[in-house]
Parts: sequence; C-alpha cells; structure tokens
Amino acid sequence: MNNLTLALDSAWKVLLIGILIGAGLPAIFAFGIRSMAYGTGGDAEVHATGSAGPRPHPAGRIGAAACFGVVLLGVALGITFIVATGFGKELSFEHVYPTLVSKD
Amino acid sequence: MILTLVVITALGFDFTNGFHDTANAMATSIATGALRPKVAVLLSAVLNLVGAFLSIEVALTVTNAVVNIQNSDGTPKPELLADGGTALLVIVLAGVIGGILWNLLTWLLGLPSSSSHALFGGIIGATVAGLGWSGVKWTGDGSKLDGVLGKVVLPALISPVVAGVVAAVGTWIIYKITIGVAARFTDNGFRWGQIGSASLVSLAHGTNDAQKTMGVITLALIASGEWTNTSDIPIWVRVSCALAIALGTYLGGWRIIRTLGKGLVEIAPPQGFAAESAAATVILTSSHLGFALSTTQVATGSILGSGVGRPGAQVRWAVAGRMVAAWMITLPAAALAGAFMWLVADLIGGVAGAVVVFALLLVAAGFMYQISRRTPIDHNNVNDEWQPAPAPASLSKEHA
Repeated sequence: MNNLTLALDSAWKVLLIGILIGAGLPAIFAFGIRSMAYGTGGDAEVHATGSAGPRPHPAGRIGAAACFGVVLLGVALGITFIVATGFGKELSFEHVYPTLVSKD
Repeated sequence: MILTLVVITALGFDFTNGFHDTANAMATSIATGALRPKVAVLLSAVLNLVGAFLSIEVALTVTNAVVNIQNSDGTPKPELLADGGTALLVIVLAGVIGGILWNLLTWLLGLPSSSSHALFGGIIGATVAGLGWSGVKWTGDGSKLDGVLGKVVLPALISPVVAGVVAAVGTWIIYKITIGVAARFTDNGFRWGQIGSASLVSLAHGTNDAQKTMGVITLALIASGEWTNTSDIPIWVRVSCALAIALGTYLGGWRIIRTLGKGLVEIAPPQGFAAESAAATVILTSSHLGFALSTTQVATGSILGSGVGRPGAQVRWAVAGRMVAAWMITLPAAALAGAFMWLVADLIGGVAGAVVVFALLLVAAGFMYQISRRTPIDHNNVNDEWQPAPAPASLSKEHA
C-alpha cells in the first residue's frame, strides 16, 4: 500500500506543476499569437469578408514579444534542467529565481 | 563470446528503442506538417544523440528497480558470478531479447508501447526462469517508489492520465484564447511552438533512455570481469549506445508515428503544441521527483488529451483502447519471451545456448521485417487519411 500513497503523492505534484507550466506556458504562447494577430491586423484577424480587416496595432507586437520572451525563458529553464540533471545538479527554486545546486 | 552477444543484443535493443519512440516526440509535428517527415526524424535523432551524451550519471543500477541480480552499488550478485559471470550474462541476454521481440511485434502492429517496460519485462521473465520468483522485486522496501509495482505498474496507470489532463487543459485554454484570430495565422505560429516543445521531448528522451542500455552493457562487462569501475561507463559504450539510439530514431518507426499522429486524433497545430508541451513538462517534472514513467505513455496520454480538450474534435477511442491493451500486456508478454529465451539457452547450455537464442532473435526479427514489407509505411504515406480498422485481407494481398 505504501507504493500507492507514494505514487499518488508524486502524481498530484506532477499534475499541479504540469498544469501550471505545461498548460500555462502554452497559454502565454497563445496570448502571444493573439497579440501578434492584433499587431498585424488585416487578414490575421477574423473579419467580415470583403472588408480590409482591422488595421495593425503596434502595441500588439510589443505584447507578443513579451509573451514569446516568457515562453523562451521557460524553454531555457527546461533545457537547463535536462542538462543539469545529467551532470548531477538540480534546479532549486529556493530563492524564487532558479539556481543550480548539487544533488545530495 | 557470450559477452559479445550481450553487447550486440543490447545495442540492438537501444536501436529498437530509438525507432519505437520517434513517434513520442515527432508524431504530432509530422501530422500537422510543422516539419517534413524526414526533417522531423533527423532533428529528433540529433537531439537524442546530444541527449545521450548530456548525462554523466551512471544508470548502472537500472535492473535494481525490478529484479535482484545486482547489489545496491551496481556490482552483480556474487552468486551469479561463479562461472565467469555466465549465469548473469545469460539472464541479461535472454531478457534483452525478450524486450526486442516485443518492441518489434508492437512496431509491426503500429502500437506505441513502452520500451522501458519491454526491457524490464524481458529481464523479469529471464530472472524468474533463471532464479525463481524470489529473484523479482515486486514492491521495494516501502521507503520510496520501487519494485515492479512502484516503478512500472503505478506510473503506467497514473502518468498517461496526468499527461492527458494537462494537455486537455492546455488545448482548451489555447482555443479559448485564440478565438478571433484567423486559423492560418494561428496554425503558422503554433507550428513553431510545436517544433520547440517536440525538441524538448526528444532531448529528454535521449538523456533517459540511452542510459538504460549503457547500464545493461556495463553490468555485463562487470559480470565478465572486463570492467570494474561502478561509477563510470567505458567511453565506447557511451558512444555506441548514443549512436544506436540516434540511428534508430532516424530510421523512424513510421508505423507508430502514423498511429499516434493520425490514428488517435486529427491533430491541428495548436493541439500538437499543447500535447508536446504537456508531455515535456510531465516527463521533466516526474524525473525531477524520481517518478519513473514511460515517455510513450505520457506522449499518448497527451495526444488523447489534446483531442478531448478541443471542442468538437474526434477521438478514436477504439484505437486508444488497443494501445491501452498493449500497455497492459507489454510487461507480461516481454517477460514470457524473456523466460522462454532463458529456458532455451539453459537447455542447450553454455556458449551454444547463447548463440542459439541469438539466432532465434535474428530469425524472428527477419520474419517480422518481412511481414512489415507487405504493408510498408514510410515517410511517403505516413500522413495518409486514417482508414478505420484496416482490413485483415490486405495483409495477404501480396507477397514480399
């Protein structure tokens, strides 16, 4: 029975982090896409056929860049994690921002 | 002699592991056209190669999760070393062969089953045949997730569900957010996201899975006295394992890619992106927590989830059901194959026995390859329209 409690204990953590990062980052990416469409205007956005579509909004591009930046940061963390684990280190979020520590 | 066979067989397993698992990372990118099929497998192969070199941790104790043939420091149990390690080598050889056979059979049927479970299953079967039921570690000592139950059964039940939920939530949110954006515009954007997330899955796969074969080969080397250091792996083992898994990945298990990419769900780029992001996150988080899981099951769960999360999407539950059935019998089936191989090797005995089981492997592999040629699936037809339940008659239509 011990295995079951241990497994469920890990499972809910994986689920929680999974939804936060695994669904959260894609959501931010989606906001980036939407913002980019808003910035591009015209055919990037759904509009009535025959009309030229909304005009571009430069602010949208800035918002998109910010979103994509956050996502890239997340991916960079992911790669760091894979590499660090391979070299016997792990990412620690003790200080809020991630730091590399030796695995004990 | 037996050692050579073990090394070749283990590399062969690594190779099947590569092409069996290409689909996990790349099926969605291929299905949505984010990457051309050949480019996708090349990218995945390179990342697997890099991944295999990235890890300096030694997975020497890989078999400790499920069987008792090694001490906790990775050295083989002394009682198995009586005759130059032959007892242990034959168990490992028979076990790995069991794993390969199951991998080939599921590949032939286009079913994404777990390569790690096939390897564990084969080794469990060979151990039971060779040492009896007490040789198997069923539950561990209770202090951490261990044994067949903790390392194989429970993660297999839990991880696809977790990955599926994450992917479903991600897909649902993405579609909500991008309402009002033209479909062509979102598709182009999400294809880039897909490539990124699929690359992460490939990299993680390389670091995890190549390790297992390296561990098995090093164990065989120690058993036969060719290597003594339990905290390092010979460089040639590392290089050859990395190359074997990368080559396998590049060959591409097109049959499995097709099932995962086209069979389960008709995948659009936002779904593919959500699925691979969920898979990457679940794999990385789990390995961080020491929760051993199968990349294959996580990827499959994610793709299913991306179908559930998209309003109006069609999920082929019959295909999903076949996969789940394959997962459930992976361990016992590979175990039976492993046990059978051990019995054959033991009956004949010594080097001759090992040679015979190796020959059996070659014959079975060649046979399955021949059958696969009758209904070839490769990079040309991998994305063809999915036919519900392929007619069995098509199998015997022409001879290879």
